[in-house]
Amino acid sequence: MEIYLPVAEMSVNWLVLIALGTGVGFLSGMFGVGGGFLMTPLLVFTGIPSTVAVATTLSHVTASSMSGALAQWRKRAIDFAMAGVMLVGGVAGTLFGVWLFALMRRQGQMDLIVALSYVLMLGSIGIIMLRESLAALKAYRSGESAGRRMVNRGWIQALPFKMRFRQSRLYISVLPPIGIGFLVGALSAIMGIGGGFIIVPAMIYLLRMPTKVVMGTSLVQIIAVTAITTVLQATSNFAVDIVLALLLVSGGVVGAQLGVRAGAKLRGEQLRLLLALLVLAVGAGLLWQLVATPADVYSLSEGRP
Amino acid sequence: MKRALLAILMLLAAPARAEDLVSGISQDIIQITSNYTGTAIVVFGAIEQAQNIQGRDIVVVVRGPDEPMTVRRRDRIAGVWVNNDAARFEGLPAYYYLASTEPISRIAPPQALARYGIGLQSLTPSAIGSHHDPEPFRQAAIRYHRRVGLYAESPGTIDFLSETLFRTRVPVPAGVTRGQYNVEVYLFRDGEVVSAQSTPLFVDATGLERRLFNMAHDAPLTYGLACVFMSMLLGWISSVLFRRPE
Repeated sequence: MEIYLPVAEMSVNWLVLIALGTGVGFLSGMFGVGGGFLMTPLLVFTGIPSTVAVATTLSHVTASSMSGALAQWRKRAIDFAMAGVMLVGGVAGTLFGVWLFALMRRQGQMDLIVALSYVLMLGSIGIIMLRESLAALKAYRSGESAGRRMVNRGWIQALPFKMRFRQSRLYISVLPPIGIGFLVGALSAIMGIGGGFIIVPAMIYLLRMPTKVVMGTSLVQIIAVTAITTVLQATSNFAVDIVLALLLVSGGVVGAQLGVRAGAKLRGEQLRLLLALLVLAVGAGLLWQLVATPADVYSLSEGRP
Repeated sequence: MKRALLAILMLLAAPARAEDLVSGISQDIIQITSNYTGTAIVVFGAIEQAQNIQGRDIVVVVRGPDEPMTVRRRDRIAGVWVNNDAARFEGLPAYYYLASTEPISRIAPPQALARYGIGLQSLTPSAIGSHHDPEPFRQAAIRYHRRVGLYAESPGTIDFLSETLFRTRVPVPAGVTRGQYNVEVYLFRDGEVVSAQSTPLFVDATGLERRLFNMAHDAPLTYGLACVFMSMLLGWISSVLFRRPE
């Protein structure tokens, strides 16, 4: 049941990895997220070096997003113009992120940066989602429909370089989408995530895109960013393991389809509450690893820094 | 007269003193394939012109290729454990296994062991990247490799099949580095090496694993694109297979 990973240079149990891919795929299909934020910490936990984990998880996200994006494309629910504009920022962000990744790796602070980014990101998003879903559930019980919180868009309207996005029925500046793209591209390279849990809220609350095109458009953006990051990680850090990617992707695409079916049976607010709890649990686990006294304060990395 | 007697004595002793060693290994190449989970080799040997068993010891050392390594120390800063100090070492092996008839401290004095580089405590880096006090870092490197099974000292693991014929089993775990290894067999007599033999052992990936590793380093662009293409293809296949009739 063991298989040798040529880039990670270690033997792993391939059944465990396919199960991991299926499990994370199931959750990502159910909640409509890429699942990178779960996969990277879990891979590190199984002993795979964090550089390889970050770089290879991206393939898993590409595959599960591809599967979801095709379904949205059949429904004509993708704003390609918006995805294209975001991608301009995404490419720049990815290049910056990969450069930062290599720099941090040389400094020996890679693990710390990855863990800190995760704790901050998962902690804040988990709390926001938890509050929002609890409020929605409460509103549902008392028989009202939860009104969406309005965000002041005045400063976004005031920005220059306006462009018409026909599919989203928007006429806004290209700067906010480029900025969001940059942020997500950088996080994708550093954390090994697609960034769906940042893009989706940003599209809804900041750009005010119609909900029906948000899912498909964010998936297209995620596919593009993770694909570019995979190639950059492969060329600059040699950290992508194709055998590991194949195992994760094979499990992931099946899990994602099963997850979509399971998710359809649950209500939206309940789903978001479960996802919020999951996000907070992963964040708390990572925080514990940062503050708990390690068994050995010395650690070793092989090869040239 | 006394001097002549001594010369005769030495002449008589000469053939007996030339206690010699012949050794070999069960395989001289270890191939890492997709189902490689570690293996073991057998090192065997014979003592020629054997003398008294008392005061005679065998030490087998398998040493992997040198690998540069960085050891980092974490300190608690603002409640968080942060890598705070580091030492870079060159010339420490990626793998070191020692089998001996007795604990090596009982075989020879520390200076003799250090001279031949025998024992984990004799492992010294050939170069140290600027650090004022590398010793705790060196100890940490040894500790780390022992923990993951890449460094080991196993006294009392040499089996004698007869008075002169011996063998020992050397584990080669899954995490070994590719490259040239050296199998060294030492014959000690009263704390001094009287004979030694060295045999190379190669560890290499073969077949698909080797091609993938080479491709990842020689053609990283093609390799990265292949990864992306594979993910997209599998994503597409799954969406077709699971597509519900609308």
